Amino acid sequence: MGDAVRAEDDRHQSLSEDKPPHEDENAVAAENDEQDDELRRLLLPDDVSSLPLSPPSVVETNFVRYYAPDFMKPGHDQYVYRHANGCVISISSSFLRLPLNCLCVIGLAPTHVALQAEGGVTSVDFNVGKSDRSEFKVTGKRKKNAQHFQPNSILCNAASGEATYTIRCCVKGSLLEVNNRLIQNAGLLNTSADREGYIAIVMPKPTDWPKIKESLVTFDEYKKLRKLS
Amino acid sequence: MPSNGAGDVAASGDINQPENVTSAADEELRLLDEVVRTFPSPPVRHLLSLGVCPQCILRLFGKYGPSYSSLSRLLSMLLEVAGDQPSSNYPTSQCTSSGDSICSVCCGILQFIYMDEKQTMVRKECANDLAVSIYELAKKEGYQIDGFCLEVSIPSFIVEKDNAIRLSMKEKYGSEVWFKEILQSETISVKDAIKLYITEPLETLFGVKSGPSSFRIRLTYSSSELLKSQNDAVIKKCAEAQSSRPSDGKASVCFLAIQCYRTPIYVLGRYLKYSRNVSQTRWIIDDERMGESSVEEITGDSVLPLCRGDNYKFHAAGREDIDVRMLGSGRPFLLEIQNPRILPSELSVKEIEEKVNSLRGKLVKVKNLKVVDDQVWALMREGEAEKQKQYAALVWISHELKDKDLQIISSIKDMKILQKTPVRVLHRRSPLEREKIIHWMTIEKITGSTQYFLLHLCTQAGTYIKEFVHGDLGRTYPRAEILQLDVTDVKMDRMNL
Repeated sequence: MGDAVRAEDDRHQSLSEDKPPHEDENAVAAENDEQDDELRRLLLPDDVSSLPLSPPSVVETNFVRYYAPDFMKPGHDQYVYRHANGCVISISSSFLRLPLNCLCVIGLAPTHVALQAEGGVTSVDFNVGKSDRSEFKVTGKRKKNAQHFQPNSILCNAASGEATYTIRCCVKGSLLEVNNRLIQNAGLLNTSADREGYIAIVMPKPTDWPKIKESLVTFDEYKKLRKLS
Repeated sequence: MPSNGAGDVAASGDINQPENVTSAADEELRLLDEVVRTFPSPPVRHLLSLGVCPQCILRLFGKYGPSYSSLSRLLSMLLEVAGDQPSSNYPTSQCTSSGDSICSVCCGILQFIYMDEKQTMVRKECANDLAVSIYELAKKEGYQIDGFCLEVSIPSFIVEKDNAIRLSMKEKYGSEVWFKEILQSETISVKDAIKLYITEPLETLFGVKSGPSSFRIRLTYSSSELLKSQNDAVIKKCAEAQSSRPSDGKASVCFLAIQCYRTPIYVLGRYLKYSRNVSQTRWIIDDERMGESSVEEITGDSVLPLCRGDNYKFHAAGREDIDVRMLGSGRPFLLEIQNPRILPSELSVKEIEEKVNSLRGKLVKVKNLKVVDDQVWALMREGEAEKQKQYAALVWISHELKDKDLQIISSIKDMKILQKTPVRVLHRRSPLEREKIIHWMTIEKITGSTQYFLLHLCTQAGTYIKEFVHGDLGRTYPRAEILQLDVTDVKMDRMNL
């Protein structure tokens, strides 16, 4: 019992020792200043003029960009942006370790016919056939309720004036979410199809990925194909 | 506690020197002799005939045996009591056999006979000899000892055997006056006895008192392979043949594992991470290392050798991504050192600090290191939920930065935001919308640029900062690009760091 009390006292003592006595206040302030100076030096870029005029966008840095040109119909060019996180493909000898799941963002490539049409896309409808794609509620780490989609499964219909365009999944995988904001604001497709105007997020099975990848073209190949600079 | 136990006497003298040990042993024997002479002879005779060892006989009478003298001396005393005249009623051959054979109750534990890890039978003369081997083990491992706590575990069948023999004595001698006296004194179990026998010699050897301590000596007695099979049979036999001598004279001895260990110590401090290629914890995917090192390894590998522990565990109050630096105040962390041989002094903790901070590359720095007890856990957990975090991000914005923007940003206080699980982590986290609070933000202009700036912000723990800035496929406008992110402050005032 006596020991316990003494230990308690010791601790209080050590705590109070940490609090700077008044005469050392200047020293502490100096130390804080030093810390602040160091912090400022580290935070500011070394050479402002070396920064790019406009830096690579989050899409360029975080995703590997693939394209599905003329998907099922001429001019139906779509993109598949594969997020680089968790995409380590297991090649090790351990059979127990599963390769991590990796997400693909699906959307309309700038050369898609719907975007080329006069007035651009005017409305997006996720209610296709039997089910409304925007009604699925995927929950939990294991993505319960996620629907399995085939490359030709329809995600939505985009309308431009009188014309409607069928937008398909392009890849085989589980549909995690569709971009609900397109229902209210279809114009996002016209202003930023590659970011805020994405169509859906799909999670392919890691084992399916090599085959999916074969069906797509890279960013460079796409540029060459569409004669973009 | 019986006052006439031999251990009490031995404790009173300073017996660090060998001659003192002998004198302690002499004193012990003299007292023991007085005690043993008070025992009535029929039960002693009866117990001896059951193959109960001298130490157990003393124990069953509520007395302690000697720590320093050989058990054979005790046996001859008991034989004297049992037979009135030494070795007249009992043939000498039987005497010696009962001295050497394994006790039918304690299975050799109180005779200091056991199987060691190499499956060889070890026989110690007295309790002190067993204590010496424990002492040597602790010394070999290099423990710095400021006290010790003895932990003994004994197989359950020995407890059952003990109960059986007590029951048989009660049946046989329950009506006798001396038996009632025994009943009044404290019962000493095999476990109590072994603890008492070796505690005092250990205190003398280590030169410290036993008591609550982080240094633990653990004696684990378990039934050896042979015993395991016989186990049930032996107990059954004991129960059946309580009055008759157990038929199997050669009871097997217990397997004894002697372990010395120290409960973990904790080194608390804050770390700063200057590299965007150092993860917080060891990060290896499929044998491939991510990043060049980790805060965990840099701190742990420096502290571990100084404490000479077996292993370490790294705990931190929150975490940052590999490509995010931890600057300014640093982040509180706790290093748990398992089984440390050495307790680091205040001075050596300072040495650790200097050692880490002078490592090549200067990837990580630590400060305010101190050794703490495990109560720090509760604080750490508490602090994790309530803390605010401060960040600085180098941001590019798609239009020219205007004074109005600065005002708008700095006028925002405790803004509630909703964050969907970022695409970045959606593969392993549940898709949800989470509410977070942005406490405040300020923009710091960078001279020479109109589109780049430093965004200082203070948010609730758990906010996805990168996503808050770049919008994660569109949640903010105008769009900005985040180039670098640094954590500048982790508030945790309660920890007094």
